[in-house]
Parts: sequence; structure tokens; C-alpha cells
Amino acid sequence: MLDKTDETKQAQVLTREKIDLEHLVRTPKADLAVAGKSVVRTDDRLKVRGKLKYGADFPQEGFLHAKILRSPYPHALIRSIDTEAAKQLPGVVAVLTAADVPGRNGFGAIIPDQPVICGDKVRYVGDGVALVAAETEKIAQEALSLIEVVYEPLPAVFDPRDAMKEDAPKIHESGNILSHNKLRKGDVDAGFASADVILERTYQVPFLEHAYLEPDITMAAPQPDGSILVEGPMQAPFTVRRNIAPVLGVPINKVRVRQVHMGGGFGGKEDSPIDIGCRAALLTQHTGRPVRLALEREEVTIQTCKRHPMIMELKVGAKKDGTLTAFHGALYDEQGAYAGLGPLIPPAGGSHIHSMVMMPGPYEIPHVKVDAYLMYTNHPYGGAMRGFGAPQVHIAHEQMMDELAEALGLSPLEIRRKNAFKLGSVTATGQLLDQSVGLRETLEACAEAFDWEGRCRTRGYVDDARTRRRGVGVGMGWYRTSIGTGGDACGANVYVHEDGSVLLFSGITEMGQGSFTVLPQICAEELGVRLEDVRLVMPDTDMAPESGPTVGSRSTTLMGNAIILAARQVKGVILEMASEMLLVPVDRLESKDRKIYDRDRPDRSVPFRDAAARCMSRGKRLIGQGWWAPPPASLDPETGQGNPYFVYTYSTHMAEVIVDIETGEVEVTNYVAAFDVGKAINPRALEGQIEGGVAMGLGYALMEEVAIEQGYIRNVSLQNYLIPTTLDVPNIRSVILEVENRYGPYGAKGIGEMPNIPATPAILNAVADACGGRVRSLPADPEKVFWAIREAGGPPME
Amino acid sequence: MAYSFRDLHWSKDIPVREYLLPKTLSEALDMLAEYDGGARVVAGGTDVVPQLRKRQLQVNALVDISRLPNMNHIEQDGEFIRMGGLVTHAQTAASPLIRKYAGLLASGASWVGSPQIRNIATVSGNLISGQPAADTSIPLLALDASVTLASKDGERSVPLSRFFMGIGKTALDPSREILVEIRFKALASNQGGAYLRLGKRRALVLPMLVAAMVVTVDPERRLFTDAAIAFGPVAPTPYRAINAEERLRGRAVTEEVLAEAGDAALQECTPRDSCLRGSCDYRCEMARVFVRRGVKQALRESGFDWL
Amino acid sequence: MNTVELSFQLNGRRVEIQVSPDLMLVDVLRDVLGLTGTKVGCREGECGACAVLLDGEPVNSCILPAFKVGGRAVVTIEGLEGSDGKLDAIQEAFMEAGASQCGFCTPGMILNAKALLNRVPNPNDGEIRKALSGVLCRCTGYQKIIDAVKLAARNTRAASE
Repeated sequence: MLDKTDETKQAQVLTREKIDLEHLVRTPKADLAVAGKSVVRTDDRLKVRGKLKYGADFPQEGFLHAKILRSPYPHALIRSIDTEAAKQLPGVVAVLTAADVPGRNGFGAIIPDQPVICGDKVRYVGDGVALVAAETEKIAQEALSLIEVVYEPLPAVFDPRDAMKEDAPKIHESGNILSHNKLRKGDVDAGFASADVILERTYQVPFLEHAYLEPDITMAAPQPDGSILVEGPMQAPFTVRRNIAPVLGVPINKVRVRQVHMGGGFGGKEDSPIDIGCRAALLTQHTGRPVRLALEREEVTIQTCKRHPMIMELKVGAKKDGTLTAFHGALYDEQGAYAGLGPLIPPAGGSHIHSMVMMPGPYEIPHVKVDAYLMYTNHPYGGAMRGFGAPQVHIAHEQMMDELAEALGLSPLEIRRKNAFKLGSVTATGQLLDQSVGLRETLEACAEAFDWEGRCRTRGYVDDARTRRRGVGVGMGWYRTSIGTGGDACGANVYVHEDGSVLLFSGITEMGQGSFTVLPQICAEELGVRLEDVRLVMPDTDMAPESGPTVGSRSTTLMGNAIILAARQVKGVILEMASEMLLVPVDRLESKDRKIYDRDRPDRSVPFRDAAARCMSRGKRLIGQGWWAPPPASLDPETGQGNPYFVYTYSTHMAEVIVDIETGEVEVTNYVAAFDVGKAINPRALEGQIEGGVAMGLGYALMEEVAIEQGYIRNVSLQNYLIPTTLDVPNIRSVILEVENRYGPYGAKGIGEMPNIPATPAILNAVADACGGRVRSLPADPEKVFWAIREAGGPPME
Repeated sequence: MAYSFRDLHWSKDIPVREYLLPKTLSEALDMLAEYDGGARVVAGGTDVVPQLRKRQLQVNALVDISRLPNMNHIEQDGEFIRMGGLVTHAQTAASPLIRKYAGLLASGASWVGSPQIRNIATVSGNLISGQPAADTSIPLLALDASVTLASKDGERSVPLSRFFMGIGKTALDPSREILVEIRFKALASNQGGAYLRLGKRRALVLPMLVAAMVVTVDPERRLFTDAAIAFGPVAPTPYRAINAEERLRGRAVTEEVLAEAGDAALQECTPRDSCLRGSCDYRCEMARVFVRRGVKQALRESGFDWL
Repeated sequence: MNTVELSFQLNGRRVEIQVSPDLMLVDVLRDVLGLTGTKVGCREGECGACAVLLDGEPVNSCILPAFKVGGRAVVTIEGLEGSDGKLDAIQEAFMEAGASQCGFCTPGMILNAKALLNRVPNPNDGEIRKALSGVLCRCTGYQKIIDAVKLAARNTRAASE
């Protein structure tokens, strides 16, 4: 009779075997020639010379200039709209209203509930009510000012908890509550009953702006064959395409979407290009001419998506020794005016369900109950921003862990060591973490590199005047690779030519994270050629296979695997030919550095290009196609139990700060971040992701918020929306650990978003440690820290 | 409605028809007169150009005075320092004369905007912006500086205490006057200055509070003989904390006296609650902190390490 | 609007063009002269992506009226490389150190760094951070940019020894 553990293990082995059969892509872990190396990025030379072309750098000859007329009310009916005067202005070619949309008047990354042009009502300040295309920007701007709209303002709702009430003004016909999702594991009442300490806290975070340096822009143009080309900076060409086609009332194959080099994305350019892409394409279809729609910086802030604000209520129980017994969470997730990227894509896609699943943190907790509510409000809408709902909940659970530690007289490290995930842990959704779990290793590595013990001893006042105090803080985190939808998959094509040069077709975009280097690295590694032999074709929906969006830290892993499979397919053909040429069995052949050779007798070799050339002359197929989907996601809609994401990246950050206890100013003086990334395909690029992510997390902690009052954003420009400068960010040291991901190329898993997640709570915890004041409603700007110190009754006693 | 059309729909252009480059002061004044209010002087342009883009300013022509001669000087003239109307923040921050005799002004100038802005924006432009927390207005107010305004009618001198009229408004009539010189008394050996700033990040940020002070002491009797304390933004214009100053004048240099002055500053400052720049309560608290820190810093810098 | 003649030195060469008087330098560079290496991020002098060198000193070209540069010398990112295609030490260092991610702030960063190294051949971290404090970067966290400037300084010193 098998006991429960053996049963579980056996079930796990069977499941693993089945998954491996479908999803395992075996790759060597050693002796890599191109992957795993810190090569210079393929586009760097153009960047440092100022030659890389971004959207605004394209020639504008022949383009009409488009502008959007925006609603000045957060919630109003449109009674009438008069475009006659605008249409009569010389130089104006088109003025479109809702009636002019031939197909579906709606777009959205998940639910197409945002009107391309509002017809009956507006739902946030900045909602589009008319489109203008004119010969120059100045004329377009003037035309906008001639359009007369009569609005009937409606009562608006700005707080998600107000939006839930019975009598709240309805923003959409379907009601204001987009969803109520539940996570149920065990019995929280029993869990609390067995706790020695129970803490209840509420944490709150505001809207955040991506503040990518490059403002949004798109260009649409009719093609000779009747299709429409839309190009611009964007993270999700296929999502853009599948939105534009129904808006224009044409089949998908009549719309071509292509990425242009991007000046930053961070998730914002996952859906802002849908917005301006649909609008520009509509104008192109209507006028028959190329259209350029560029947003000014302030318009980017007003119009495009934001990071979801949240109110998070936590009640956590723990035993005296720090073992967590129960977690009860209520999450009020503000979606804003439109569905954006919040709602569920079954089984576990969408930011809201992700927040729910991540809310208890990377800790073993036997009893968990979470109620997560997603609400519409008359505010700008929530999209994706680096972490996709995880940063917010980490701010809550990591601060809670510190508050619990304090209540129990434990150190922040002790309580985490007690509960942190390890291989074999079961998550709050009942997922067994059966591979690639390096969380505890990151904690120890970080503590050592940061010298946690040593720095703990130097906490306290740093000046004789006793105005500045030093403190340290830790933040742990986990983040998925993949987006948890039923259709999460990637395709790649690899063409080898008779001279050994390679074309790589992938729909994964480059926004500075390095995909245009890392993906060719993987391709070159698998084929056995040099990095410079591989040319990645700009992501183009006419040429690349469906690849999904460049989000969710999925690119290296999912597309990496697809590329390996594609390269392997064409390499197989070339190796067969080389085998004939060398009279050596295929299974003894290696391909490396442009040579195919006998593993046992390396001097017996043939140049890769010669084998390729012979394939060409013999009519052999030099085309490889790869398709990879991760092991299937699952999540029960009632209980939130299942395996939402197939692997996680883990991280621990430690920060040292000095707080001026008289003014509340915070200086971050030391910082170490440790990551388990499975495998670093380009370590230097990976460090860059870490450093940039930490800076972004620092901004969230100390200075960033979209200041919105009655639906109006008060800080629309970069003068008042503050992101960290060189003087705000310390030197950042990265520690990279590799606990191999079975299902990742060379063991890799995702890294793009992880770095900015634990940074915020690590810094907040350090601030609390330094000055005794805890800020639970971000950002912890000097004023908030000042009041928190007052509320705590002053800084800690020495 | 809280947003105007312009708040929602932004242009890249500035609606100006002419860009004029006079070679002499007289030529510049003639141009202003010709446009009769329809022209605006630019030196660095870092305030005027964004205002034009936002349509907060509507003019037909810009009169670029950056080529005018005799306006680039920083010189000592007896007990005074004279700065020409075209001196940039970068020049001010780097000037050995200013650093020695008006360190608080060098500090203030080094905090304006960013290095790129400081390279081209002028101190006189900073004054003319009429912003209550302009980083050189505050130290110059503490220095009791005065400005020389030139017009076709001649020159007039206006002390800064009468120069700032309201947010964005000064005594200078932009339709006919040009600020040609700034003048203040160099700090004497029994004087010390300080400049302090509080912001939500460490560069490129409008301050929550900025303060500058000049203290004059009697080294023998260890008394404050005089004090000038300027704050911004705690009122519609750069503000002299006269009550705080009064608590110091003639009093002994002690922590208790400083504390009194700090309390007075807290009481007399009246900033609005601002979601971007801080609440009234907080900024008043910071005024108190700044008085104490600033006066101590001023004493230390002048060699009077008594506190 | 009438156009007026503007002549100035651009990347070492004299330029004479007819432009309308309301243009900013960045628009003359990008739209009239086709040099798109200088970027526009904000149009209010906040982000530094538009930085160019004016008589050797960094300025924000997005708020600099074009006619201000008459008779003066402007250097853009395109002007850093030699006519033989040889890159400036800072450009090489940026590539080696991995200091560019999306690359949008790179021209502004490189030019500000160039001005610094011309003045201070061996700057420390603090001096570098202060000199670059007027260019915002959202991607890199600045770490590798600081490293690149130090590397460029080292390489320049080594080359001259």
C-alpha cells in the first residue's frame, strides 16, 4: 500500500514523463560556443552611432498626420458632435467619428471594450471621440479645435471599492465588477486558530506610468495589393493585427503589422500600439493614404495604459517560531475605464488572476484564502507593466513578512528561511514545485554578497548630529515564465542559405531587453554557426510564425525552444548531407563554429556552408520550422487550484538605505540582487536587465505615482512624473545563479520582469528598519516617510 | 471642467513668426517697442520655449538677447558683486568670485534643472520667471540683491524685495524692459551663507522646499547681528521669513534661539497643500528644520563653529 | 511663414540652410538636415534624449531655438565618429560595457559623457553621475553607463600613453 507521498511522487513521475514527451527540448548544458556568452548586442553599433531608426526617424514624406480628439470628462454621454468646420479647413483630409468605423468599433488586448472612436459615451479623460488626418500636424491640431462636442457629464467613480457598490454609476453595461476570483486552499479559520500571532495590514499602491523614453508612434500605409501595413514600436504585433482586422472589417490576412525598433516598452507598448494602430489604420483605410500618428509625451501619459493601482488587505497568522499558518487576502484591483490586460484569459492569463495567485508570496502556507476583485473606474486603464500584477502584491507580502518578524522577535531572514519555497514545496494554488527552485539559494547568496550580518551591525545613526540613520532590508520574490493562457506558444522559422548564412524569423520584439541578440545566439548555438551568420528579420506578421506577445518574461524560454526546434530540423538535413560527405554516421557528428566534424576524429570535417550548398544543389529542404508550447496551465475557476505557470524565476534583493529622519529623505546606498535564472544566455545583457529593473523598483518605492484627482492627471509630463536619475540609483551588484529549468533552452527561464519586483519592498523594508516608520501607501516620498516616523513615535531607540 | 483643450491636445510647435537677434541693447529695446507687447525677450529660452509650446505665452516674435555685449560679467565692485544679465547658471556655479563671496548663490545655481539647462539658462531668466521657488531667486533675495532694468526711458534699479509680484509676475515689464544686471553685497568676513533644497529626487526636480540664508554675527559677543532667511515655495512669491529673522536679530547664537526662529518660520510660512510639491503642514515642518540646519551651515562655512 | 538663412558649424562642417524662425534646433537637425540620431523624448528639456554639444557644452536641443546656434558650433552623435568610420572611445566603451539597452538615451548620454571627459579626463563615480544627471534612462539603471564612461576614460588614457 503506497503512502500519500509515494502516490504523489509516482503521479508526479507519470505526469513528468507525459509532459517531457510533448515539451522537453534537450539541450547541452556545457561546452556552449555562443549561448551563455556576454556578446556585444547585434544592434549596439547602430545605437552608439545614432543610426538605429526608431518610429519617429522614418521619413514623413507623403504621410498624413493624425490627431485624436479627447474627452475632457471622466464620464459623460456624447449628445452631439459637429465636425463640419473641421472638415472644411484647408489641408484636412478626413475627420472620423464613431459612425465611420466600418467594422467592430472596439479594441482591447483581451476584451475589445474600448471604442476606437467613442460614439455614445466616454469613460475616462482622454477617451477618443474623433480622429483627424491632415497634411500637417499644425493643421490637424487646428482641426481638432474646430470640432464641437456636446457632452452631458455623468457622475463618475474613482475608487474601486465605491465602484463595487450597488448604487455606483455604471461604467459599462455589464456592471463595474469585471470579476471576483477566488483562491481557496485548506481552512484559514483552522489556520488562524493555530497561530500564535495574527497581523492585519492594508497596503495601497497608485497608478504608475511606464515612462519609456520614446513616445508612442505608429505609421499605417496602404499596400499595392490592397492590404494595410501598420508599423511602429510595439511588443505584440500579432495582438495588434488581430485587433485591427475586425475594426477595418477585413480578414486578418489583409493586415500586416511590423515592429520598428523601440525606445523602451516595459509592458506599456503591449497595448498602446493597439490603440493608435487601430486609429491610424482606420484613417489609412478611409483616406487611401499613409498616416502617421505620433503622441506627444503628455498625450502618452493621458491616453495610454498604466500599472494597476491596488488596495491589498492581508491577514496573516504565524507560530512563535515564524512558521506561517494562514493567509487571508482581499485584493481590490482597479482596472480603470477599459478591460486592458486585467481580465482572465483561461486558465491563468490576465494580470488580475496573476495577482491573486501571487498574493501569498513564495512561501509554504497550508491555509490560504484570497478574494480578488477587479473593478472598472473612470480612470485611465490598467495594462501590463513589468511584473503584470506581481509587483503590487510583493509590496504587500514582503512588508507583512517583516512586520510579522518584528512582532515575533525574529530577523527578516529567519522568518523567510522558515517558510521560503524549496524543491518539493507546494504553492498556494496547490502546485508542486518539482524543478528549478533556487529561491533559498538566492537568499543565501544575496546575504553573503551583501554582507547582511556585517551591515546589520552598522545600522543606526551615521552622524553626530543624529539626523541620519542607516537601515537594511530584504525582499524576496518569484515570477513566472509564460503567460498562463491556453494558447501560450511560439513559432520560429530558420532558413539556411547555400553560403551558410541564416535568416531567423520570430515575432518576438526587441525593446532593449536584448532579444535581438539572445535569440540569434540560441539559433547560432544550435546550428553550429557564428552569431554574425544569423540575421533576425524584423518581426513581421507576414513573415514570422505566430509568436505571441513579448511579455511575461516568456521570450527567451518559449521562443528559444521554438528556435532550437526549428534549427534542429534544418540542421538535421544538413547533418545528413555531411554524413554522406564524410562517411561518418550522423550521430557522431557535431556542428560548431561553422564546421561539422566527427566527434571521435575532429580532423574529419566539412565546412557547414559546403554541406548547406550541397543540400541546395540536391533539392534538399533547408527550412526549419519550430513550435513550442509550455506544459499546459491549469487553474480551477472556483478554488484557484492548479498549475498556472510551468516554472518560476526566483530572486532575493537586499538594500541598505540612509534615512534623514528630520526630512524623510531616503538615500539608497548599497544594493545587491541575486537571481536564479536557470541559465544566463547573455550574462551581461542579463545584468543590464537586473540593474534597470532595480532602478524601476526603486522609483516605485520612493518617487513614482500618477497623481490623479477627480479623473485628471496632475503630472502629465516628465517634469512632474518622477523616475530615478543617476543621482538616485546606487551601484547595483548582481549575483546570478543557475538552477536549471528542465524545459528551458540550455536551462534558461525568464528574467525581464523579475528584477523590478523585490526591489520595491526591499527598499521599503530598509526604510522601516532605518527610521521605524513604515509607509504602506506608496510612494514613500520624503513627506510620507516623515509622517510615518511621527506616527511611530520617532526613530527606533538605540 | 478641469482640463482645457490645450491640456489634452499637445503640439510640438511654438507659434512664433520672427526670431530676432539684436546686436546692441538699444536695438533690442527698439524691437520690443516695435512689437508693443507682441515680442518677448529670450536669453537661454529654457522657460519661455516650453511656455510657448504649452500656449501659456502668446507672442509673435522672440528677441534673443544672448549676443548683447557687456552682459556676461561677474565682477567685484567695491563691496558689491555685479553680474550681467546673460550670466548662466553654469558660470555662476563655477565662478570663484561667487563661490567665495556668495556661496549660497553658487549652490542655488548648481541645482537648477540639469547640466544641459544650466549651460544655457541665465540667472536673470530665473528671476524673471517669477516662480516662488526659483533656485537663484531665493539666495538672491537672502542677499538683498537688486536688479537693473533697462528700457528706452533709461535704467531703474529695483530691490528684489519689491521685484516679485506674484506667481509668474515680476516688476519687469516684458514688453519694454530688459534685465541687464544683478547686484548684491559680497558676504563679509562676519557673514555666512547657506542654501538648502528638498526634493522628491536628487536631480531634475522642482523643489518641495528651498531655503537660503545669510547670517551676520558679532564674533566677540557671539550674537546674531542680522539674519536674512528666504524660502520658496511657501507663498506666491519668494518669501523672506521676517518673523524668523526677528527671533535671531540681536540674540545669542544658541540652539534655543535657533529653535525659536525655526518655530517662527513654521508659523509664518503659508504654502498651499500640493499633491505634487507636498502638504502645507509638511513644508512648514521642513521650514523649521531648514532654519536650524541652514543657520548652522552658514555659521560653519564662515568659520564660526559655535553650534 | 518666411524662411531665414541660418548658418552654423555642424559636426565640423559649415552648414547654410533656410529655415522658418519658429523651429527648435532638434527639428532642424532631424527634419531639415535628416540627422535623426538626436531624439525627442519630452519636448520640455526634462529627459535629455535631445542633448547635443553647443560650443562643446551639452544643451537640450528640443527647447533650443534653432537661430540661437547661428555662427556657433554644434556636435551631434553623428559627428563623433571619424570620417574613416572609426568610433570615439566612448562609443566603443558603450558597446563593450553593454551600456545601451533600448538605445534611445544613448546619444544624449554619450555626448554628455564626451563633454565630461573633455573637461575631466579621469572622473570618479560621483562626477560621472552628476554630469549625466540631466539624461534620463528607464532601461539600464545607469550602472553600465557609469562603467562605460570609466572604461572610456581608462582606454583614452592608455591610448595616449
